[in-house]
Amino acid sequence: MSANGKVSVATMWLSGCSGCHMSFLDLDERLLDLSKLVDIKASPIVDIKFDQMPEVDVGIVEGCVNNDEEAEHLRHLRDRCKILIALGDCAIMGNVPALRNQFRLADCLTRGYVDTESTQIGEIPSDPVLPQLLARARPLQEVVKVDVSIPGCPPDADTIWYALTELLAGRMPQWNERNLKYD
Amino acid sequence: MSTPIKLTINGQSCSCQAGQTILEVASANNIYIPTLCWMKDRSPWGGCRVCIVEIEGSPKVVPACATPAADGSAVTTNSPRLQRLRKMTLELLFSERNHVCPICPMNKGDCGLQHQGYPHGVDSIRFPYLFPALSMDLTGRYFGLDHNRCILCTRCVRTCDEIEGVHTLDIANRGEKNEVVVDLHVGLGESETCTQCGACVAACPTGALFDKAQTYRGKLHSCRTVKTTCPECPVGCGLEVFTKEDRIVEVFGDSDSQLNAGHLCKKGRYETWAAPRHRITQPLLHGKPVSWDEALAFVRQARATSPVWESVLLASPRLTNEAAHAIHAVADKLDRVGTYVVPNEAALVDAPEQPGDVAQHLAEADAFILLGVQPVRDHGVIAARVRTGVRKRGAKLVILDCRRSDLDAYADIAVREVSLERKFWARVAEVLRDAKRPVLIYGPTAMTPVGVSVLDKLTEVFRAQGTGEGPALVGLPSGVNSIGMVAAGVEPVEEVAPWLDAKPVQYLHLVLGDEPDGGAQLLEEKHMADLLAGIPCVVVQASYRSKLTDAAQVVLPATIWAEKTGTLTNFTGRMLPLRPVVPVRGAGRDDAAIVEAVYA
Repeated sequence: MSANGKVSVATMWLSGCSGCHMSFLDLDERLLDLSKLVDIKASPIVDIKFDQMPEVDVGIVEGCVNNDEEAEHLRHLRDRCKILIALGDCAIMGNVPALRNQFRLADCLTRGYVDTESTQIGEIPSDPVLPQLLARARPLQEVVKVDVSIPGCPPDADTIWYALTELLAGRMPQWNERNLKYD
Repeated sequence: MSTPIKLTINGQSCSCQAGQTILEVASANNIYIPTLCWMKDRSPWGGCRVCIVEIEGSPKVVPACATPAADGSAVTTNSPRLQRLRKMTLELLFSERNHVCPICPMNKGDCGLQHQGYPHGVDSIRFPYLFPALSMDLTGRYFGLDHNRCILCTRCVRTCDEIEGVHTLDIANRGEKNEVVVDLHVGLGESETCTQCGACVAACPTGALFDKAQTYRGKLHSCRTVKTTCPECPVGCGLEVFTKEDRIVEVFGDSDSQLNAGHLCKKGRYETWAAPRHRITQPLLHGKPVSWDEALAFVRQARATSPVWESVLLASPRLTNEAAHAIHAVADKLDRVGTYVVPNEAALVDAPEQPGDVAQHLAEADAFILLGVQPVRDHGVIAARVRTGVRKRGAKLVILDCRRSDLDAYADIAVREVSLERKFWARVAEVLRDAKRPVLIYGPTAMTPVGVSVLDKLTEVFRAQGTGEGPALVGLPSGVNSIGMVAAGVEPVEEVAPWLDAKPVQYLHLVLGDEPDGGAQLLEEKHMADLLAGIPCVVVQASYRSKLTDAAQVVLPATIWAEKTGTLTNFTGRMLPLRPVVPVRGAGRDDAAIVEAVYA
């Protein structure tokens, strides 16, 4: 809880297309209502450095874990939040970024950096400062404990609104055929 | 009649006959049990475990689809434990393969797995995803198989085996290597047994089997549907056509149709819409697009300069009854009008003799005799009934005077040429000895002297066995609507060349309708293109481009089956409706209207 009595929130964008964050912004005027109840402390849309990540009540994560840096960021957030929300299909089940899991990592990198049709002389980047891709893209729950899942690709604003308002009211969202969708 | 079984489901008392499954009893009493691998008219599989129920006194849960109702039992279909188990089962299904909903064509409403995931509140998967490296088989002409989306429910396998009767699909390997295979592990396009009926695709609850032409073109549940009649053969199966934005997106069999009960063959399922064809949308004069007025003016001028006794009209046997009547009505303005048919078809369509309920006869037959028909090629749904009858019910099969087909493999006797020898008929009599409900399916060849003597021999065989009236007779013409066309008074023409050459011809009006490739296949056998070369004025009325339209002075664009209102007469003599599915493309007009305009 922030000093002003609001619920503090941090959002994080891992391997995803940012569509879930866009969908969050689709809350439109409901963002004003939300801003009376929550403080967004850190987010890809509010410029904050990783090492300044504060302790928050709720962490919301879009995207799956594709490299060692993302895994570290996710664990960092998990350590600093009370409730962790996996937002969208990539966070929950890997989705499109995890399509590469069917192939060997070396083959993926060769296809991407060497065999691409437009590449003349390609090289797989090897600078040590670059994050290292994991052998497979992993859903959040394979790395940290996830408390709430909001499925969808992306989850639409109504679905996000439902989940957030339920949590703010102190209830777990109940998913059923009326509010659940995987696309 | 055995004594009824009494049981309670969720406290509600129900009764049923011995052998009925818990699922059948529940659905008869309007009690919902979720299912996934279960499918109407297929044998129960009990593999997906979504329909599990509890029975009082038993610690186990059982699949309702595969468990017979037991007298005095108390069944519970919904409880926290069942909910928990079903949810877990679904999560295991999701985790096993690569179910990536957002990129799947069945997403947003057409997926059976999603349909179960939602009400069971599957919001995430607690099990590690396996992400197996799986392949996709796109070698088939009309449909593909994506193992990534398969849940191994075997609905396709059972459908292939029990409905089409070919058993092309099956399951191979064990454990997580389990997969659907085609024949002995070949591609769909290489299969020797697959008839491309596409029933497996219609049965697939996920996107594992998908029609290439349908993929990403529209969600079926949001499509407009129209029920109409298949225009591809005289069986006249019911079609359910899905359209989106005035395009055909999918064609399935109409499950309410008594004759085909949702099943179709390759012709109805795909050739009606998914095969590429060159459509003619504009009248053509010497190959150049012109207006209807110009085209009709040219035709009228040509008619005025050609004497009536040198003017003929030849029509496809595929036209509607309404077009046939329109042609008959203008016959006096021409020397002769006819419809081209295969040899001996005239005698067959003249005497349509059918048992009252053909579907039931086929479903109950314990012996099939095929005489001079090609059901595998021409009437796929009938072939499927024969196959399943032989394979599932042990019906006898005698094939006389038919081309080679996969049915030969199931036949007790299959001969290309019928012998009239005593020894041969003694063999036939032996095979048909215990037949109580035999069905004779015959084609045009049965109308030849040889065919008639075979019929006599068969009658002898059944008379000698004292099985009364002999077999139920099912005559299958070759032409789609030759029965209706001939009934409307259009003369059947078996030999086109002598019919045309009988007298000099100045003016020929060929009404091909929506014959695929403009009827080229049949007419080429009759050397039609050569015959046209000698005729000064050739008017071709067709929906699709062909050698014949290329050879014509004037081409008049006709509507296709999906744009028509009208009727077709099927092999049993029933008039079946064609309903408009999509709006008319371009300047196409109905065959009857064109004929009326030309001879107005």
